[in-house]
Amino acid sequence: MFLRNYWYVAALADEVRDRPLGRTFLGEPVVLFRTADGSLHALEDRCPHRQLPLSMGKMIGDALQCHYHGLRFDGSGQCVRVPGQDHIPAKARVRTYPVVERYRWIWIFMGDPALADPSQICDFHWLTDPEWGAKPAYLHVEANWQLVVDNLLDLTHLAFVHETTIGNMALVEHAAVKVQRAPNNVLVTRWIIDQPAPPTFVKVGKFTGNVDRWQIIDYTPPAFLRLDVGASPTGTGAPEGRRAGGIGMRNLNAITPETETKSHYFWAQAHNFEPDNPDMTDRVFEQIKTAFLEDVAVFTAQQRAITLRPDAPQVDINADAGGMQARRIVDRLYREEQATAAHATAAE
Amino acid sequence: MATKFRVELVWTEGEGKEAASIFLTSDGRVILQGRGVPAQEREALALPRDADLISVDRNHIRAIKDML
Repeated sequence: MFLRNYWYVAALADEVRDRPLGRTFLGEPVVLFRTADGSLHALEDRCPHRQLPLSMGKMIGDALQCHYHGLRFDGSGQCVRVPGQDHIPAKARVRTYPVVERYRWIWIFMGDPALADPSQICDFHWLTDPEWGAKPAYLHVEANWQLVVDNLLDLTHLAFVHETTIGNMALVEHAAVKVQRAPNNVLVTRWIIDQPAPPTFVKVGKFTGNVDRWQIIDYTPPAFLRLDVGASPTGTGAPEGRRAGGIGMRNLNAITPETETKSHYFWAQAHNFEPDNPDMTDRVFEQIKTAFLEDVAVFTAQQRAITLRPDAPQVDINADAGGMQARRIVDRLYREEQATAAHATAAE
Repeated sequence: MATKFRVELVWTEGEGKEAASIFLTSDGRVILQGRGVPAQEREALALPRDADLISVDRNHIRAIKDML
């Protein structure tokens, strides 16, 4: 199940250069490239002649040349040259997709191009905000995109999957989690008041006493999760919104379905302490990366089990509340999108 | 009581109206935030006299339906 009329992250900005990059989104093969003036293009990754992926070809000037018989296509998807003949068949063109570069990511719109409004792109300004240091990364994951969303909306797995990195049992045994559900948003919030700061926080925040910690997960469909985590000295008013004297990090996640069983996972870690210090950015990133790879091992193993027996029943527990609400939102949006598409088809 | 883990669920309607909280507890209960039903109201509506009754917001019901 895919939601089509949404902007998705297609690539890191510096992955797309003057040579073709082939990637599949929502089951459709796409080739991305830049022309000499730096402008971005996304075409269907399939030569209309004999279906070889165009991403196997190369750029000749501003045209993408197919590796098989040398047909060339410009950024509008139009074939502009057929070797050995003057006539270019009218059907020698490929579909194009709207693309936008924002927040050091390349965004693509896989649905109806008439609905591709860049103002609808999810906010990830922390990646380019000078007040924050940030580092983005990409992981190819052999798991359905919703398994990744489930994972990020659940705080309790930290105690088990990340036992040796960022979790402990206190996160599970004495948790009070608040799940706020709006029509198209889920916010999972947890405060840990007046507790010692974990060692990593002490190091960067230079705390001398207890702190108030927050973990706030903001989910926006289809698969954007922005985690706000940090700590401030206890009694300085962080729960009421005053975070002065504290430290904050943003863990930023954008998951783009490749197929029903594979996903493109774009993530980044941002921090508001020493934002201009690239060593600090690297250190924070590396700490979180270890935990990320632990998660990847989990949801790829889940996918293998699900593929072996797709109809196996699942049991829900309290900790699933956030993930279940996210799935309900996606189910509703999918039904709405399908109904709109059916209506449009009937009207034609 | 050994309830260590709880999840509070809060729903916001389209027009921004928030439903009061629903609590899921680790001992398997669902606790609704509401107000007790006073004796006068029990009598007027012919409600049971001694039962534990609470009055909850209509949005609660919608939220529970959605949750289940």
